[in-house]
Amino acid sequence: MLIDINAYVGHWPFQQLKYNTCEALLQRMNKFGVDVSVISNLNGIFYKNTQSANEELYEEIRSNSKFKDRFIPFAVINPIYAGWRDDLETCVTKLDMKGVRIYPKYHDFDIIDPACIELVKRVRDYGLPVAFNYRMVDSRQRSWMDIGYVVGTAKKEWNLKDIIPIIKAVPDAKYMILNFANAAVLSPEEINLVKNTDLIFDTSGRTITNMAEFLNLYGTNKFAFGTHSPILDYLTGLLRIESLYSNEADENTKELLRSGNAKRMLGL
Amino acid sequence: MSGLSRRKFVCGTAFSAAGIVMSDGFSGFIPRSNSGSNSSSESSEKKYNIMQEVMKYRKIDSHVHVNLSSTNSEVQKKFAEVLMNYSERMKVEKLMLSNPVTRLINSIPDGRPESFIANNNSVLGVMKIYPKIFSGSFTFNPVHAKESMDEIKRCVDLGMVNAKAYYQTKINDPSYYPIVEKMIDLKMVIHMHAEAQIGVGGYRMKYNGYKPLNVSIPDDFVDIAKRYPEAIFQYAHIGGGGDWEYMCKTLKNSPNVYVDTSGSNNEENLIDFAVKQLGENRVLFGSDNCYYQCVGKILASNLNESQMKKIFFENYNNLLRKGGRNVD
Repeated sequence: MLIDINAYVGHWPFQQLKYNTCEALLQRMNKFGVDVSVISNLNGIFYKNTQSANEELYEEIRSNSKFKDRFIPFAVINPIYAGWRDDLETCVTKLDMKGVRIYPKYHDFDIIDPACIELVKRVRDYGLPVAFNYRMVDSRQRSWMDIGYVVGTAKKEWNLKDIIPIIKAVPDAKYMILNFANAAVLSPEEINLVKNTDLIFDTSGRTITNMAEFLNLYGTNKFAFGTHSPILDYLTGLLRIESLYSNEADENTKELLRSGNAKRMLGL
Repeated sequence: MSGLSRRKFVCGTAFSAAGIVMSDGFSGFIPRSNSGSNSSSESSEKKYNIMQEVMKYRKIDSHVHVNLSSTNSEVQKKFAEVLMNYSERMKVEKLMLSNPVTRLINSIPDGRPESFIANNNSVLGVMKIYPKIFSGSFTFNPVHAKESMDEIKRCVDLGMVNAKAYYQTKINDPSYYPIVEKMIDLKMVIHMHAEAQIGVGGYRMKYNGYKPLNVSIPDDFVDIAKRYPEAIFQYAHIGGGGDWEYMCKTLKNSPNVYVDTSGSNNEENLIDFAVKQLGENRVLFGSDNCYYQCVGKILASNLNESQMKKIFFENYNNLLRKGGRNVD
């Protein structure tokens, strides 16, 4: 079984995307053997009121019965916007959302803003995971209208050290860390925190230049297949797993990466 | 390749010209102990077996580097094992290695002859380790005209097959003219680092202080390609982080400019867009030492099998053939 924990539908305002509807993504999944995709609505990054995007996603998934068993929706919640607590409850209890993706940079709050901490705790209390990502697009080709976290400048793209503060603040939450795009040297304490937290990285990010080394460092229970589709290509995240030699990852380990670790976190 | 079944662990650091800084030391691949074992799950085999697709296509990597952070021969030997592991794992049968001078001295690119000579020597050393797999491109700085010409002759005599230049001098600077003419005579590709980084440089590359002034942009290639229509130019890494739509649209009407697909950025539709704009004969497979993305982005495209063969192998081999340096 293959579960993609990092996919989207919706639009990116600065560039045309392909395969960015449930229908198109499902065709992609069928072509390349992906059984289930965890998806959010990209529009939620850009709408001031993210709940509109969550409702759009809910309606899109309801629009065709074949979508129901193939997509796992995650809400996008902005914890500094009015009504977010009600939105979260609605997403979990009525819209069947199975997790929350949070975008501190795009929604302009600190990752350990009290509101963000409260959101993570509330999601934790539902028994669901929260997801953060390093970046959405490569800042070197970002639109001049996109957010100003730019590689090579004083205000850089995020690395793992930028995400760790929320893990420290709420260590008993479940975390998906997506698009592992920038490297950082972690202290032994930070490495231990990552290892001891219920956390998985997806395999889409460019910093995973050697999948086997990452498995050795963080553990085989810390990674799950992800594409970052439709922004990144559909296969590189899979190639990181399937090109592992048997002395680097046996079949049991590969199954953890393909679906086992994702199932555990998603409660499937 | 078949005799290279077991390799030492290598932890050399690859500083991609595309700009990845591996500050935690991750890089390259670790060795395998058996061959042909990278199997897919039963379910994904039935639907799509990515490793079968990887192994289906012969490949020439038109843009790949030795270790860019060191000219030390021991460091380079270790890094050669990383490259060979990549070659085996992804079925890349020829690597066009280069070592352009990427360091800055007081924010200015190091363009000294002694630097480009030392870097070429490091490539020449690595080429000797696996000569059937490793080929080489020489670097130079055209503002040092005599030294560059002498270096080109030396490197060609020692078996290098192409030029690879960096941001010391723009590709359309007049100092390049004699170099380009020499490369025309040699029937060799001029492979040039290039950028179109709207996000860094500002819209239309305003050079806001984050990039050296002499970085070549797509428009510079259009200029030099028009002046020398018989020359062969390789625009480096459309996946190197820049705006690939801007790149491809700018280069569309410059038929003697080829693009390589390398770089850490593997955005969906990059390959399809490049082929649509430039045609299936002007797109070249390359990694820039990004060993997964380089293959994944092409396999994920909508190209048919014939087009994939061209991009992975035939297009670059046809360029090598012009000088009788093809691999088959």
